[in-house]
Amino acid sequence: MQDFLELAVSATASGCVYGLIALAYLLMIRPTGIINFAVGEWAMVGAFGGHLLLSRYEWPYWLGMLAVLAFMAVVGWVTERIAVRPLMERGTGVLAPILALLGVLVITREIISVSFPPDPLPVPYAFELQDQKYFIIAMTALVFAGAWLFFEKTVLGRAFEAVALNRRAAALMGINLSRVTAFSFAAGATVAGLGGLLVAPNISAHYLMGVPLAIQGFTALVIGGVGRVEGALIGGLLLAFAEQLTIRYAPIPSGFAQGVPLLFLMVFLIVRPTGLLRTRA
Amino acid sequence: MIRWLGAFVVLSGAAFLLGDYHNDVYRKMLLWVTLALGYNFLFGICGQVSFSHFAFYGIGAYSVVILLFQLNAPLPLAIILGIAICVVIALVVAIPSTRLEGFYLALATLALAQLFVVLLNEGGSVTGGTGGIANYRLPAIFGMQIRGPWYTGVIVSLLLGTYFLLQKLDRSWFGRACRAVRDNPEAAAAMGINVARTKAIAFTLTSALAGVAGMVYAFVDNTVNPPIFGLENAFLLLFMVIVGGSGRHAGAIIGAALLFLLPFWLSPLVGHHHVLVFGVLMLAAILLQPKGLVGIWDRFSKSAG
Repeated sequence: MQDFLELAVSATASGCVYGLIALAYLLMIRPTGIINFAVGEWAMVGAFGGHLLLSRYEWPYWLGMLAVLAFMAVVGWVTERIAVRPLMERGTGVLAPILALLGVLVITREIISVSFPPDPLPVPYAFELQDQKYFIIAMTALVFAGAWLFFEKTVLGRAFEAVALNRRAAALMGINLSRVTAFSFAAGATVAGLGGLLVAPNISAHYLMGVPLAIQGFTALVIGGVGRVEGALIGGLLLAFAEQLTIRYAPIPSGFAQGVPLLFLMVFLIVRPTGLLRTRA
Repeated sequence: MIRWLGAFVVLSGAAFLLGDYHNDVYRKMLLWVTLALGYNFLFGICGQVSFSHFAFYGIGAYSVVILLFQLNAPLPLAIILGIAICVVIALVVAIPSTRLEGFYLALATLALAQLFVVLLNEGGSVTGGTGGIANYRLPAIFGMQIRGPWYTGVIVSLLLGTYFLLQKLDRSWFGRACRAVRDNPEAAAAMGINVARTKAIAFTLTSALAGVAGMVYAFVDNTVNPPIFGLENAFLLLFMVIVGGSGRHAGAIIGAALLFLLPFWLSPLVGHHHVLVFGVLMLAAILLQPKGLVGIWDRFSKSAG
């Protein structure tokens, strides 16, 4: 029982990280329809920011975290300016920005791999090793509560929803589309960066950490569905529990466990492409 | 016909003029061009984003090696079974995911490509694990051992065969159906084109072509191992087609040759960081020149003529 409780806590913590990455996707997909695979690299940038400020320059944790998150918001905003807005204004549809963001993914990763040594780099815990799981869970709860309040209670959040439902109609109603898009990318990058910063103490900052996170986060999103904010968190938790339970109890080599999210992703795409939760009418 | 024969003689003859090292580079370039041509049909002409093209290259390579040397199948049977494996896997992925709108095929193939590498690494004695399979030789064909520059002839036949087939297809009703599906699925459906079926056929066909290219590749280095078939190269293939000019055979050829050779020229300048240059080129192509290098060439020749 003790064993199972420990497993449940650590699965919840990694599920929260997947949920954060899934939320980052969701924040950008909802208003624009753009699947931004660079979120994994953004998480990586967040992790390296944590290494730089917290390990190398030894800033206090809260200050360092705020600085990293502010930087991530700028990264997201700049990315939107350079790689998304020119294409959206040309009216090319969503494929061109998705491909452009794949270019951004590669560029981001290469810039990090040029600027830092290739070995895994340490990122400190917020408090102590054993408290990091609870810290991850608390921070995620905070972010999701914030996101829920934002979409339910604020004018900008309602504007987001309106754009998600119908871009043209929203624009005609006087909603500034490019401002919503810019905001969604800045918020997406911030949330992804937070995910990276939170998971980095356990897996170390490494320039190849992005793609696995991007795929796990996306799987979480597919499981939960893009329709609702809670879906991202539920999808992340389900995925993490499935992963950890397979590693713990299924008689397969641990290497195959990497295949679990991939199988989940394929099965869900094929069987239940709209996700578990239905979009609210 | 004479043109194709001439191209075959020139392209394979070049192998005899090159040294061992350059011949190796040349062969790999030809294989990349073959893959890019196939991917261009799927992505550029049919408008589908797939990340599994390179995985099918790996599936072809691994299946022919496993069938030949672990199950001791004869070569023709190994080739036919290898193609059959590619077709079956492609259909399993394509049939459900092409029925849905959006990027389901891209996501399903992304998962497939990653799953393939996981299976290779964990495959134990069947796939050779992380080390892969090495130290085998192409069996004799009609008592002849095809070696060295002569094998380049096989690769050239593969390239020309792929090009011939794709060009014929592109100019047939099927190619036009693919372009219609890419540009406007609703209109295509209204014209009586079965959109899902067209997509699934294009995906299966190009995946099988990639599998055949993989079979030829298996005997270039006489080794197959997981890192070769990773997601990195799937991205590179996409970049090649976009930089060269998607939807045009010439674009695929130029893009593949350029991005394949670029690291050799760049390495004195940037070392191993040529991928950064690829990323910048790809982003620049999408933002500034969506028609790729072929588009630049068109404009140039138009203003000159």
